[in-house]
Amino acid sequence: MTRNEIWVYVETENGSAKSVGYELLNAAKPIAYAKHAPLVAVVVGKNVRKAAEDAIGYGADSAIILDGDEYAVYSTDAYTDALTELIRKYEPETLMLGATVNGRDMAPRIACRLETGLTADCTDIGIDEGTGCVRWTRPTFGGNLMADIICPDKRPQMGTVRPGVFRKAAFDAGRTGKIIEEDIHVSMQKIRTSVVKHIEEIAENVDLEGAEIIVAGGRGMGNAENFRILEALADAVGGTVACSRPCADAGWLPRSRQIGQSGKTVSPKIYFAVGISGAVQHTAGMQGSGTIIAINNDPEAPIFDIADYRIVGDLNTIVPVLTKKFLEFKKD
Amino acid sequence: MDKYNTLTQEIIDEIKAVSNHVFLGDAISPDYERDEMPIYGTHKPDLVVQARSTKEVSDVMKICYEHTIPVTARGAGTGLAGGCVPMQGGVVMDISQMNHILNYDLENFVVNVEAGVLLKELQEDCITKGLMYPPDPGEKYACLGGNVATNAGGMRAVKYGTTRDYVRAMTVVLANGEITHFGATVSKTSSGYSLLNLMIGSEGTLGIITELTLKIIPAPKATASLIVPFTDLQTALSAVPKFKMAHMNPQAIEFMESDIVKMTENFINKTVFPKEYRGQDIRSYLLITLDGGSQEDLDQQIDQASRLCFENHAMEVFIAETPTQISNAWAARSAFYEAITDEIKLLDECDVVIPINHIVDFLTFVNKIGKDLGLDITCYGHAGDGNIHIYQCSNEMSEEEFMAKNEQFFDVIYAKAVEYGGEVSGEHGIGSSKMKYLENSIGKTNIDLMEGIKRVFDPKMILNPGKVCHRL
Amino acid sequence: MNICVCIKQVPDTNRIKIDPVTNTLVRKGVPSIINPFDTYAVEMAANLKERFGGTVIVMSMGPEQALGALRVCLSVGADEAYLISDRAFGGSDTLATGYIIAGAIRHIEKLEGIKFDVIMCGKQAVDGDTAQVGPQVAEQLGLPQVTYAADIEGSASNVIVRREVDGGFDLTKVQLPTVITVVSSKQMPRYATYATRSDAKKKTIHVLNSAAMPEIDTAQCGLNGSPTRVVRTYTPVVVKNGVTVEGESAEEIADNLIGMLDAKMLL
Repeated sequence: MTRNEIWVYVETENGSAKSVGYELLNAAKPIAYAKHAPLVAVVVGKNVRKAAEDAIGYGADSAIILDGDEYAVYSTDAYTDALTELIRKYEPETLMLGATVNGRDMAPRIACRLETGLTADCTDIGIDEGTGCVRWTRPTFGGNLMADIICPDKRPQMGTVRPGVFRKAAFDAGRTGKIIEEDIHVSMQKIRTSVVKHIEEIAENVDLEGAEIIVAGGRGMGNAENFRILEALADAVGGTVACSRPCADAGWLPRSRQIGQSGKTVSPKIYFAVGISGAVQHTAGMQGSGTIIAINNDPEAPIFDIADYRIVGDLNTIVPVLTKKFLEFKKD
Repeated sequence: MDKYNTLTQEIIDEIKAVSNHVFLGDAISPDYERDEMPIYGTHKPDLVVQARSTKEVSDVMKICYEHTIPVTARGAGTGLAGGCVPMQGGVVMDISQMNHILNYDLENFVVNVEAGVLLKELQEDCITKGLMYPPDPGEKYACLGGNVATNAGGMRAVKYGTTRDYVRAMTVVLANGEITHFGATVSKTSSGYSLLNLMIGSEGTLGIITELTLKIIPAPKATASLIVPFTDLQTALSAVPKFKMAHMNPQAIEFMESDIVKMTENFINKTVFPKEYRGQDIRSYLLITLDGGSQEDLDQQIDQASRLCFENHAMEVFIAETPTQISNAWAARSAFYEAITDEIKLLDECDVVIPINHIVDFLTFVNKIGKDLGLDITCYGHAGDGNIHIYQCSNEMSEEEFMAKNEQFFDVIYAKAVEYGGEVSGEHGIGSSKMKYLENSIGKTNIDLMEGIKRVFDPKMILNPGKVCHRL
Repeated sequence: MNICVCIKQVPDTNRIKIDPVTNTLVRKGVPSIINPFDTYAVEMAANLKERFGGTVIVMSMGPEQALGALRVCLSVGADEAYLISDRAFGGSDTLATGYIIAGAIRHIEKLEGIKFDVIMCGKQAVDGDTAQVGPQVAEQLGLPQVTYAADIEGSASNVIVRREVDGGFDLTKVQLPTVITVVSSKQMPRYATYATRSDAKKKTIHVLNSAAMPEIDTAQCGLNGSPTRVVRTYTPVVVKNGVTVEGESAEEIADNLIGMLDAKMLL
């Protein structure tokens, strides 16, 4: 008999939590509420008590900590062994993880060892009406098709969910919840990989997922030079510059700024889509944005279908004027 | 000298009464002032119509004819000879929004399209139906109307011919606004002067093409590209005529030198070609595409072509046969123009056609002239049909100096091209930029004939003034 | 170093379009390609063979059309090719697929009389985009894994994988045998030469069905062996009833937009 719990894995790095775990707590809240299920944060690492306490503030009912030297640096073996043992002990109904590099590294191994189903890289979650299972929604065929997937018979039902799709709840310092420290350890001998060196990319590390306003350019920008007018607009509105895939392919902007199926998924409050036609490949990564403002000279560009505000016209004419007007507006 | 009237508020109101897609003043994008070679001069139109139908084009044309207002037709604006620049201002008739593929007739193997459909869209749509529209100019984001107006050529011309060979019929709005049709769906005709063929390559000087009936063929069942490295360009080019002699019929044979390949790989951020082979530097390449009715047919062609390459001193033959490999192999070639314009401040180009047996001599000559004048010369092109793209580049000269040197360069090399029995432009057209060289090449008599024909179609000379044969 | 590379033939997802009338995928005319990440894996394997010797065996689970993809792999560095094909394998989710591939790998080891030091897969297949099969093969085989590999450094006895992670690279040392999933290769995948292509044409591609591989229990394959179910697929069409911001000039359009955003308290 499995327990009714919904677990959210809160990934940590050097002891501090990545945002996606807290995003998932907020996303899982409605499901937990509908199922009368406790929402449990699971935190693995070294010195991660603070991350677990914060998880309560972000909406978890309780938290479980696995703390140990062997968890200080992520390894597939230690994390898989530890989490599998923990799941076997508690038998949760559901386990959600962030679809991060590490999340997607260990989740399939855990699912395989437990012989259960895992849905990768979801962009939405809900409850399947027929079965009451978690409904995992994910894009497939390069974002051209969406699929709703369930795991009817095996438990826990597992899924990884993309960072940036959901927003964290407002932090509530007044929330309280039990924090359990589990004494599960993995012998260092069982860890068959070791990171001998970490190399930071010299490339800038942009936080697109966290940006409130994004100013994105597409193929219609024409060249790398033209992105200057977007930078000016971004400066004026306090936004971050991003691009669609063809621009990153052409080297106009670094890959780290690419939004879409093969890039990052974002949900800012305001999204400017400038010279972006709106192929599903791109919209898969930004349609969760609060307000979408599209500027394109083609009145039939698909981006206009999902835009809240449509401006049909030449971006080279409109964007600089818009920048000027935003600056004037701010001054007033 | 033909005189034109300027647009008055009354004429503007008349045009607005027949078109809901009129742009004026600041609402006109600067794009309308130029094509991709602003070096030949830019000019702002007074009014832009983004036409949605043949009738709309006709209605506006009638008004412009009555008031003698110049009208310049424009598609995607990807030209390289100044063809769509409204030299005399007036109206720009943008047909790029007439972008619907109307229907396929699979019994007669034709497709009906509006003239603003992009080449890329028709090519991709054909593929999903197991068909092929063979003309394949480098610029895939050009409108088919523009392709027809310049008789665009492209990579596959060596096997399949140029745009002209695929135009069966068209709807044209004449200078006085009358709508007429040239050609027919059938493939044979001996029915008087071919007005259809006069329109092809007329660059908007005889009428405005609004709809097209284009010939399509069943797509080849199997395709592969060969990347063939050579130690030098001369050896590479000497191999080209051997294909014809061996009764081989490749879809494309392109030549390129290692410098431009490196520059382009840098631009697209992707390595596509090997740069050395067994310790030896590769200096030039042939890129050959073969197609066949079956895999066996293709395999046999690959065997034959590879043997032929080795006999003609190829260093190796690399074979791209998956869709990914083929598109990688062509990725650099397709981005040459963008890569050059990205790195070079001042540049001009031409697309002369030289009989294949003279390509090597001609290129040697061109490189020498360029060096004498202090211009950086980059060449690549369609080895299979002698259509060569030559780029004169400079990052050092002043614009004035560059223009002067460039003119000297053109004078000498076009004269040489004529001497070899070549043509001024293989596929880009004459526009405003190559008029002088066209006259030098074909002579005054022929230019006068062209101008006379134009006057019959366009008595007030309002269609695209100052282009091809029309001296302002 | 003996290497097994798992590849998959996939539709070119960049060329897939949605039929605007029926809202369904248009698959006709969409070329089949070798999953791009798998082509990097094949290149990485061919490169390792050049450095350390050994054999490269390429395998694919799928229908007979995948023979062409395997043939191409033979022309760019693979020595032998196996197609794992059986109706019973159809409809497998990642768990069942991992089970079948792991079983097939053990079987190929027996047939060839070798032990694989490295099993490579592309990071993920671009049609499913799950990135789960590689790790699940590793789990089934009880091997360590290194995902997101961009290069392999070190020596045959000291394998260091350059692994793409957030914000940079990890150099990860791993014990052999291991599973490695590949995100890119240092060199771009090589082309066949006339000679390597001709040799590949002459080779036999081995086809294995479930009957040929007794270690695979068909009850754990296909839909029966798959814990997940796809309950619905649909095209992601979200149409908002947006406002067109109009104006006679760019200034007017800009003023109108800012006015609208301000009215909604968005600024």
